[in-house]
Amino acid sequence: MRILSRWRYPASWTIFRIDDRLLLILIALIVGTCSGLAAVALNRSLIAMFEWLHYFRHYWWSFIMPAIGAALSALFLDKMVKEGAGHGVPEVIYSVSRYGGLMRFRSSFSRLISSCLTIGSGGSAGPEAPVVMSGAAIGSNIAKLFSLNDRQRVTIVGCGAAGAISSIFNAPIAGMVFSIEVILGEWKAVNIVPIAIASVAGTEISRILQGNQIAFSHRLFHINHLDIVACIGLAIISAAVSVLLTRFLRSMHRVSKKAPFPIWVRAAAGGCAVGIIGLFLPIVLGEGYHPVRTIIEGAFTQGFGIVTLAVFAKILATSLTLGWGGSGGIFAPCLVIGSLAGLTYHRGLVLLWPSVSWVNEGCFALLGMAGLISGMLQAPLTGIFLIIEITGGYEAILPLIIVSVVSTTLCHYIEPASFYLKELVEKGQLLRPGTDARVLSDLSVQELLEKDCIIVKQNMLLRDFINIVKKSHRNYFPVEDERTGHFLGIIHLDDIRSYLFNPPMYDAVVLCQIMDTNVEVIYLDDDLSEVLRKMDMNQLFSMPVISNKKFIGMISKATLLDNYRKELMVQTDL
Amino acid sequence: MHTQLFHIFRNTPLGRETLLQSIYFCKQVGASLIIYLPEFTKFLMYFENDVVQIDLDDSYLTSPGTTLKHVKELLDQGKIKARFLEPKNFTASTLPDISTNFDFMCCPRSISDLSSKIGLGYIGPRVRRIVNSARFPVLITSPVFKKWRSIAVFFGGSANAINALKLGFRISRASEMPLSVYTQMENASKESYEEIIKNENLEEEMDRYVTEWHMFERGKFKQNIYDVPHDALVVLGAYGHSLIRNIFFGSKMEKIQSTITNNLLIAGPNYALTR
Amino acid sequence: MKLNLDDMARCLDLPVSTVDRWIRQGRIPIHRSGNGCIFKKSILEKWAVNHGLRFSLSNEERKKELNFALTNLLPAMQLGGVFHDIKGDDVKTVLKSAVDKVPVLSINKEELYERLLEREALTSTGIGKGVAIPHPRAPLPEETDNSLITTCFLEKSIAFEAVDDRAVFVMFILLSTSIKNHLHLLSRLAFCVRDDAFVEFLRTYPDTSSLLSKIADCENLLDKADHN
Repeated sequence: MRILSRWRYPASWTIFRIDDRLLLILIALIVGTCSGLAAVALNRSLIAMFEWLHYFRHYWWSFIMPAIGAALSALFLDKMVKEGAGHGVPEVIYSVSRYGGLMRFRSSFSRLISSCLTIGSGGSAGPEAPVVMSGAAIGSNIAKLFSLNDRQRVTIVGCGAAGAISSIFNAPIAGMVFSIEVILGEWKAVNIVPIAIASVAGTEISRILQGNQIAFSHRLFHINHLDIVACIGLAIISAAVSVLLTRFLRSMHRVSKKAPFPIWVRAAAGGCAVGIIGLFLPIVLGEGYHPVRTIIEGAFTQGFGIVTLAVFAKILATSLTLGWGGSGGIFAPCLVIGSLAGLTYHRGLVLLWPSVSWVNEGCFALLGMAGLISGMLQAPLTGIFLIIEITGGYEAILPLIIVSVVSTTLCHYIEPASFYLKELVEKGQLLRPGTDARVLSDLSVQELLEKDCIIVKQNMLLRDFINIVKKSHRNYFPVEDERTGHFLGIIHLDDIRSYLFNPPMYDAVVLCQIMDTNVEVIYLDDDLSEVLRKMDMNQLFSMPVISNKKFIGMISKATLLDNYRKELMVQTDL
Repeated sequence: MHTQLFHIFRNTPLGRETLLQSIYFCKQVGASLIIYLPEFTKFLMYFENDVVQIDLDDSYLTSPGTTLKHVKELLDQGKIKARFLEPKNFTASTLPDISTNFDFMCCPRSISDLSSKIGLGYIGPRVRRIVNSARFPVLITSPVFKKWRSIAVFFGGSANAINALKLGFRISRASEMPLSVYTQMENASKESYEEIIKNENLEEEMDRYVTEWHMFERGKFKQNIYDVPHDALVVLGAYGHSLIRNIFFGSKMEKIQSTITNNLLIAGPNYALTR
Repeated sequence: MKLNLDDMARCLDLPVSTVDRWIRQGRIPIHRSGNGCIFKKSILEKWAVNHGLRFSLSNEERKKELNFALTNLLPAMQLGGVFHDIKGDDVKTVLKSAVDKVPVLSINKEELYERLLEREALTSTGIGKGVAIPHPRAPLPEETDNSLITTCFLEKSIAFEAVDDRAVFVMFILLSTSIKNHLHLLSRLAFCVRDDAFVEFLRTYPDTSSLLSKIADCENLLDKADHN
């Protein structure tokens, strides 16, 4: 029996004990394959559902379909798997930064099903974030099965996310970069190698099952110097659009929260509204890969006005779907909105300077997509690599870089945190490795406790106390009630120095008369950042820790610094 | 170091009984009580290598207005002070994280399923997950408040049983109640069990705390359990064996929990003795 | 190798909870199995050096501490020896003959004498009641392995420019390995001398064994006072 159960603890096998890189690579392979499969499954079922519902699209009541889909998906999340709505990426980042990537098993399939319902029925959302969540959760659970430790588990979670993105876009580098830039936030060889393996595995799975196709192929572009100058304008526009999208999504969220209906009614209402928009502008429905393809091929013929309208309609539809309780991500909508914005910009340019020979509109659509992805995620590398890989358009690399970087910078200026991180930053929960917040959140009061203080009783005479002072290494003496053992106050040597050399006082004063009762105290489960804030505010160097009204130790800045440094060193280089 | 017991309050008569159990336990063991008044029907517990989502049964949230009043009444009756746990971190906006640095946790037999299922032989899946991953022992209470006056440890010789035995010593030391050990002999002699104790250097503590060591040499385990006094707190280890072995041979824990109605204190496989 | 968690924490000189967390988070090359820590010594040592931590399996640290532990009066006096009838008419000659008695071979007697005189020149070491405690200004870690006190009863009392101007009849030559030890011994000796009964006892010019047993009694008293 023992031997049988040993397979669950590969980390203790002799070959892997010395160096866990080999183990991580093997597990990354498994995880990449699994999350790649999950992505393919979602993609296939989306296509199937879209085709199945296609026959009903012509009826006038078809606007009800997104409503039904969204309502079902909300019901599924709320009642069946009991998870919150939303796209899930912040949850992944949160668990990576605070709990070593521990995720629930149910997360590995819940978002797949709910987003399939939402998007398949016509809701405007993307399948990528759900796939990332699923991939990450699959990774986390596989790591859990093999009893890996936190650091290894975090890497494996990153592998899951990378495999998912690689598989759904057939874009291995974008998967890697996304996972490292957005999910882990830490560029290290120990992370990159397994993640690269998982990306390869995920991509390969998708190529085996779906063929090696580039999602949005296009004609050759001939880019002039003038185009590169013009793309700065596009960057500004795409930054503005992404800020607009972020604001819209969040305000929709707030509005829908106030609505006094059950969650599935809200989702249905949102879906209904999307359906109605879709009646007039069918481009907003679904994840929208098809329209993107037409735009890039330059086959999108509508004029300037319609295209501009479509940008806003898609923004509205996306925020209605996601903000009101549908399930899905913003990746695909970003691509659609980006390509539409690019197209708008191109049409505008042609209108203003008809005589200049601009590169074709497909190229601008492509740049717009990169601008929007970079702006929304504030991850320029992800934007650049993703667009290159899904379009195979390496010749557009120079303007692509410019658009991505400028758009990221502008968005960062207006919205300091990206769409995925905003919630976490607001709650102070974004704890990237090696940062001050992370070190402080990892250390606990318990670990810093100094227990070598001598506790004195409140009715002790000063004379007896002096004998204790002789023996103590410390300047602080906590005073407790001899009957109940409760903490009453503290004596600081500095405060009573003058009495110490005054023998007549020795028998006249008991300790409860000279102690300081008005002390700031810390409890065991306080956060260290809070503790430090208290220390700074009151200019203290030491504070007593109280638990259940009893004194259990001191915390001093000196020990804190000592441990902080050790922690930082251990955290930052491995 | 003082110890803490974590309790989730259910605002129903059943929950009242459970809280009374917790209060009694805390007073006996000298632990301080930490109560969580749930605001949402779900929360997450992050353990060392697992995360458990606990979906509370709806009855936990009945008439939220009276919750605090009910708890305070019970605390006043029991003359005990408690701290209320406010979740600090949220995984999602309606999904608080509850920390897991406790020394004990009190659960009824079921927390996520309907309370009508609670009966002998039934322990809810969430409670099992908690027992399986927690570093603290879980107090599974009988449905009706009952004071216990002695401690009964089931000792089968496995590593986990030794943990349970040490836990029994700890409770006995804190509560100053008599402790007796029960062993069902399975094809092994009395000496072999004493050998195990000796190897673990527990002889001294065995002499100090244990008043009686009952060795059942014959008869079925289920029948022999009748000898356990009705007012004993039963301490046992759980999930010490692999899954395969449980399927083939059945688990002692299941047999015990489906036979007796006493309060059970269960030490899971991750129960750490460092604290 | 395998150690349990508590020992591991001690070897690394860290709190148990920190080590536990680091193992869980995979920051330290140790594997967990039950309550034990499995690790490879060479790897862990290298890791500890790289991260500015201390790791020592053995109790070397503690041994060192023992070395630094304070010597008490009794062993120091046993080491230093007790001598009677030290000849001399003034401070210099008395010291000269006393230094010859100091039972450490490796010491340069001439130099020690110089140092004692140097210290006397600063202020007298006669602490009153006829007792003097000559000692060099700085400790002698190289010359002696252990602190010692050589007790010298003088043939006749001499003026020592003591604080109370009384003639000195006994000298305790105090040679210590560290400042800390020096202060420790000095304060203990002073405690004994403060007791008039003890000085009276000294005036009887006791022999070695009775002096040492008296000292032992005094020290016990002192230890008791410290522990209350």
